[in-house]
Amino acid sequence: MNKITVHCTVNHKPVAVEIDPNKRLLDMLREDLNLTSVKEGCSEGECGACTVIFNGEPVTSCCVLAGQAEGADIITLEGVSVDGKPDVVQQAFMDAGAVQCGFCTPGMILTAEALLAKNPAPTEEEVKQAMSGNLCRCTGYAKIVEAVLLAAERARGGV
Amino acid sequence: MSMKNYAVLAQDHVKVDSLEKVMGTAKFAADYKMPDMLYGGVFRSTVPHAYVKKLNMEKARALPGVACVLDHTAIPGKNRFGIIFKDEPCLVDDKVRRYGDAIAVVAAETPELVHEALGLIEVEYEELEAISTFERAMEEDSPKVHGNTNVNVTKHLEYGNVDEAWEKCDVIVENTYSTHILSHMFIEPDAGIAYLDEQGIMNVIVSTQNPHYDRNEVAAMLGVPQNRVRVKQAVTGGGFGGKLDISVQLHCALMALYTKRPVKMVRSRSESTMVSSKRHPVTMKCKTGATKDGKLVAVDCYMTCDAGAYSSYAPAVIGRAPVHIVGPYECPNVRCHAVFAYTNNPMCGAFRGFGVPQAAVCHEGQMNALAKALNMSPLEIRMINAHHVGSVIPTGQELTESVGFLDTLTQARDKAAEVMPEALDRLMKTEEGGL
Ligand code: FES
Ligand code: FES
Repeated sequence: MNKITVHCTVNHKPVAVEIDPNKRLLDMLREDLNLTSVKEGCSEGECGACTVIFNGEPVTSCCVLAGQAEGADIITLEGVSVDGKPDVVQQAFMDAGAVQCGFCTPGMILTAEALLAKNPAPTEEEVKQAMSGNLCRCTGYAKIVEAVLLAAERARGGV
Repeated sequence: MSMKNYAVLAQDHVKVDSLEKVMGTAKFAADYKMPDMLYGGVFRSTVPHAYVKKLNMEKARALPGVACVLDHTAIPGKNRFGIIFKDEPCLVDDKVRRYGDAIAVVAAETPELVHEALGLIEVEYEELEAISTFERAMEEDSPKVHGNTNVNVTKHLEYGNVDEAWEKCDVIVENTYSTHILSHMFIEPDAGIAYLDEQGIMNVIVSTQNPHYDRNEVAAMLGVPQNRVRVKQAVTGGGFGGKLDISVQLHCALMALYTKRPVKMVRSRSESTMVSSKRHPVTMKCKTGATKDGKLVAVDCYMTCDAGAYSSYAPAVIGRAPVHIVGPYECPNVRCHAVFAYTNNPMCGAFRGFGVPQAAVCHEGQMNALAKALNMSPLEIRMINAHHVGSVIPTGQELTESVGFLDTLTQARDKAAEVMPEALDRLMKTEEGGL
């Protein structure tokens, strides 16, 4: 198979990756760029564990061919923290007890980041809507919703 | 309620490993990479019950990039494992007992090559009748899944004198309840990596709930003492009982032994769901009697279960479910006879509650049925029978402390009156009944 080269921005840095054209974005991130925070739970767009922020939108990277990322701006969980410290959403997930096994956590946090970037003051209903593509088998979601609302409030300067 | 000042209880604490998890640095089994690593995959049966007549692995072996293709003859030690009974093969030797049984394993340079090699393996079966229900399993002329009986495990609980108790009852209700098979659907599919270190110790890093047990099984399969095997639990993405059994541990270790290279295996969601354990589907035929003022007098239950092809935790589940057949209620006469059968269905095992949630479907259903028969509210009949300090349970044990059920019921009622008055109203109605 002839390789292709994908040029995109990953976690604020430009990259050029040579890959097989049938490679999924998920595998390019995990294997070629070693960004293993991107998780694979179902491989068919159902669970949200593989979520990345793709041009500002939360996208399941198991359903995207790496070639489709040409020119795109991609953020994984590795690109969210500031100077090796948790950002406001990551901190809120810790403080609200929204993390149990942690396998859904990267996708959850990235979906929340994408939401808050567009809507800094979401209602509880809007949070639930935005997070509805991310499955969590451990927490029961209440604390995840709480964490996103807490992050929003803190980012706006409350608490 | 007064609350002492405890160091941990009622205090806020940040979960110990949550920092790595929110930063994305926590290492799950599939995140491990080692130099020279191979990928592994499993050739699985596509029939539920059959003898393997022929297995041809030569084409797969000949594929460039394939490091090994192994069947049961490659196993140096024991080819039987299982958490309580050793009844499951690492690789099928005598016959296939369920859809998805492991027949051969492949290690190759890339996951794509593994996939290709698996497609080159050829098998010929002599199919046997598949047992798919408890009833068929119990018939005399049914083929036997293991040995000469399909009874996997039985349990009998007898407390008081049930046969004499019926005449003291003013009301008797009889019903049959069935619960269904259920997958844990832990969010992280099973995965692991095995390698021999410089001292020749087999290391297995795996998504598991049970590393000590895994170590014993890997050692037995390899035929080496336990101190020649080290199992390390990777950060594990949920289990709920479904990661207590062996998943990739044995296959990874076997291939690492043969190739002298690290072998990593990551199950797909469908493979994980196909062969991981399930919740036991239980059928409970139950007769319950009470006096006209609502006091339980006797419970007699016949409990049956299609436990699947291997026993996994069935001997533990069958111990718990009968003991809990009357739930958190006092009853002086209890009998429960339980029979779990082998079939060719998916293997059932540990799943949060170990059979107790199944029993709850029965005892709560019976409480509602009694309430209806006695024209009482479902809440009232529970309050009348609720365990308290001093209650004796059907094992003969007296509860001497910490019995919070009645308090919980009372507080739940008061809270419900506050936040969901209509639902509480419904609950207090005598005819409709039902929680
Ligand atoms: S792995 Fe992509 S949505 Fe589940
Ligand atoms: S924390 Fe385990 S799946 Fe969400």
